[in-house]
This record gives sequence, structure tokens and C-alpha cells, in this order.
Amino acid sequence: MTKDRTLGEHMSRRGISRRAFGKYCAYLASTMALSPKMAPAMAQGLAAARRQAVIWLSFQECTGCTESFTRSYSPTLEDLIFDFISLDYHHTLQAASGEAAELAREQSMEENKGKYIVVVDGSVPTKDGGVYSMIAGHTNVDILASTIENAFAVVAVGTCAAFGGLPYAKPNPTGAVAISELVGNKPLINIPGCPPVPEAMTGTIAHILAFGSLPELDDKHRPLAFFGESIHDRCYRRSFYERGLFAKSFDDEGARKGWCLYEVGCKGPIAYNTCATTKWNGGTSFPIQSGHTCFACGSPNFWDQGGFYKSLPSRTSSIGTVAGATAAAGVALGAGAALIAANRKKQYSKET
Amino acid sequence: MSNLIDRRAPENTTPFVTGLADAVLREIAELLDTLIETGETGIIDLHSLPMTDADRDMLKEGLGEGEVRVDLDVAGPSRIEETGTAGVWWVRHEGADGRIAAELIEVTRIPEILLSHPDDIREGRTRLREHLDEAGETGTEELAE
Repeated sequence: MTKDRTLGEHMSRRGISRRAFGKYCAYLASTMALSPKMAPAMAQGLAAARRQAVIWLSFQECTGCTESFTRSYSPTLEDLIFDFISLDYHHTLQAASGEAAELAREQSMEENKGKYIVVVDGSVPTKDGGVYSMIAGHTNVDILASTIENAFAVVAVGTCAAFGGLPYAKPNPTGAVAISELVGNKPLINIPGCPPVPEAMTGTIAHILAFGSLPELDDKHRPLAFFGESIHDRCYRRSFYERGLFAKSFDDEGARKGWCLYEVGCKGPIAYNTCATTKWNGGTSFPIQSGHTCFACGSPNFWDQGGFYKSLPSRTSSIGTVAGATAAAGVALGAGAALIAANRKKQYSKET
Repeated sequence: MSNLIDRRAPENTTPFVTGLADAVLREIAELLDTLIETGETGIIDLHSLPMTDADRDMLKEGLGEGEVRVDLDVAGPSRIEETGTAGVWWVRHEGADGRIAAELIEVTRIPEILLSHPDDIREGRTRLREHLDEAGETGTEELAE
């Protein structure tokens, strides 16, 4: 598409009306717990935006994050994000290879100076001069440094990029570090998960396009819209936790009745992610709904937490208490969610 | 192996009424007050509320069934219905796979998504003009022959 054309003009020429923007932003606002009254303004912002140049760097990773990103649930609505961005460099998806591929990256950096977004998946090895992962004769450390120099922002997707992930796990033979260790003061968003929920990735990028700014982040640089609440807070099995009804093994009566999986090692109380609400595979399910525990795969050091099936040390620490009765728990959770949404609404109102 | 796995869906853990339907109905009443007095519209995002099926049924019953129903085909289907309470619309957006992408209560004379966008109107006019110009040129050529 012509680079000076707005997304609204671009989509219009493809026969896609502004109603599609309105619908997409209604969906986005709902997913990000923003006020639904902001959807028209978001749609306006998105339609007026230019296509966003994105350079995707893959370091010590397994390509699971890309698999997740390209499997956003809806073949129509959610796929709009791929019309909104220009993915100028991506090892797995680009047709070019060798010098032509590196040239594409350099051209995009030059043409979009100060405006492009760098998405990184994978951690970066730093031991022995960074020789454990090299691309086109350059270490990951050098490629990252040169690529982010004129970037608008860096988005670290997946737990490897956000917190080191599997390569960082003991004994960390390659000296792997998270992207946050190497970006200095460059604006950084972490979207952890192994892999991350696709909607968390696409929603964050769409937010940047619609508002021209980064979404609200927590102290670990994660967007609050997707990582503001724990899996435990939003788990449909929480009422069993409150009543003290636990599965003791994966095939006992409690497991069959769908009771809380805390005692078989569920890390939901320390896992901040959006799986319990956004879910996976087109909203089909998430691990706990499928009868398994949460690994807290979006948390720092999740590989080194002493075992996926080992219960957390205390049932009461760092876990919010709500009224014991199931009904009361439901209302209290709803009120909490409403309060968080209201606070976000206030903060966004100030921004816009 | 397969007979060891219990494939039954987890028991429904929330078959109860939480009181949310009543809270939403009261909020709608306040939004109607605002609409009548100031003309300002209001929206409630139902997707973000942990409502049970029983809550949803209560909400539908409280609002009643209206006389306008519109189906849109925009990046997947959408259904927009005016409830039996005039000015209160139930908006449901789905992706192409039928999954609910957004579900809203809009308190307004007409939901904005039903209105033609000015940019789309301009684009439509351009296309129509181009069509008329092409048709005019063809007609002139035919007459010349």
C-alpha cells in the first residue's frame, strides 16, 4: 500500500467500511477493560493512523510466540491487525533471505526512523562474547543494539524475551538475559507467556496505533489491561478454593468434580496473565478449564520454581481474601473488576 | 489410556443469581435519565461482568423484547436489537467463528455503528461519480458509432 495513505483510506479501497473499525475497537476496548465509550475515539485514531512498521527479531527462542501471534482467533475481526502493520522483517514469515532480508531491515529502519516498533522474541546470550546465537555474522547483542537505536518502542514478546525464560533457567549455560537488560531507557513493553496470549500481543500493538502511546504498564513493564489480575483472581474454580475443596491428585474425586487445583501445584495465585478471561484457541478453554494446573508461564523464573506439580508454600500469603460464600465471592470479584476498570478509565481519560 | 480420562465438562460452578442483573438494570435506568435530560448516550460492557446465565436471563426479562432487530455482516456477524425498553439496545458482535467479541448495552436513540460514517459516504459518492462518468463515456461512444 502507499505509505502516506491512512489505514481508513487503505481499508476503504479494499471495500472494508469504517464500521469494521468501530467493531474492532469495541472488541479491543472490551478485551482491554477500557470504557466502551472510548471505542469510537479509538476507531477514529486507528483510521487516521499510518500503517505501522514492525521489525521482528528472533533470538534464543522456539518460534512458539510467532505461532501464537499468527493464530489470533478470528479469521476476519482479529486478522485486521495484519492490515494495520507492515511486518518488514521476520525470519520465519519473510520471503526474502540472506543479504536481501538484512537489507529489508536496514531500509525499514532508515525510512521509519523514530517511528518503527521492534518486537523481540527470545532471550539474548551474553556469555563468551555472545557467540551462542548469531545472525548474518553478528551477535544478538549487536543486532538488538543497532536495531533499537532509532525505534519508537521495543515490545518483548514471550517469557524468554521478557524475563529470560527457558534459556535463563539454571544453569543458564549461555549467559542469557532478558531484553530489559539491554534496552537502556528505550520505551519497553513486556508481553510474557510461553507463548503469550495472541490477543495480548495484537491488542497492545493496536493500542499503540490508536492512541499513539504505550498502554499503561505495571512495574514489570506488562500492560495492565492483560496482566493486571492473577489467574486465581479470575478463575472460575475460585469458589472451590474459598470453600476449601481441592483435588489432591489428577484423577481423584475432586479432580473429576472440577475442584480447585491448588494442592496439585497450580500457580494461578502468582500468575498474572489473561488466560482465565481471554482464554485460548478462540476462547475455547485455558489450562485450568482443561483440568491442568497453571504453570505461571508468564512469570519470571517460572522454570525454576521448584516443580510444576509442587504446591505453593502458603495458601494464604499474597492471595486476596473474599467472602466465603460462593455468591458473595462472585459479586466481590465483579466489584473488584469494576473498580480496576474504573481506575483505568480515569487514567485513560487523563491521557486522552 | 482414553478410558482413564474423564471427558465430562466441569460441573457448572455458577448456576446462581448474583444480583448483577438488578445492578445493571438500575444503571440502565440512570443512563436513561441522562439520555432524556441531556441527550448524552451511555454504554455498559456486559462482556466484562462476571454474569451467570441466570443473571443474563433476568436482565433480558427486565428489559423486554423490542421491535427492531438488525443483522450486520462486518468482519463477522453482529446483531443489534432494541429491547422492549425504548432507547436501550443490546449489541452483540461476533467474530467469523461465532465467538462473542463484544456484548454491549447501548442507551441511545440509535447505536453509532448503524449510522453511515461520513468517510464511507464520501467514498461511496466517489465510486458512484466514477461509475456515472464511465457510463457517460461509453454512452457517448455508442452514440458516435
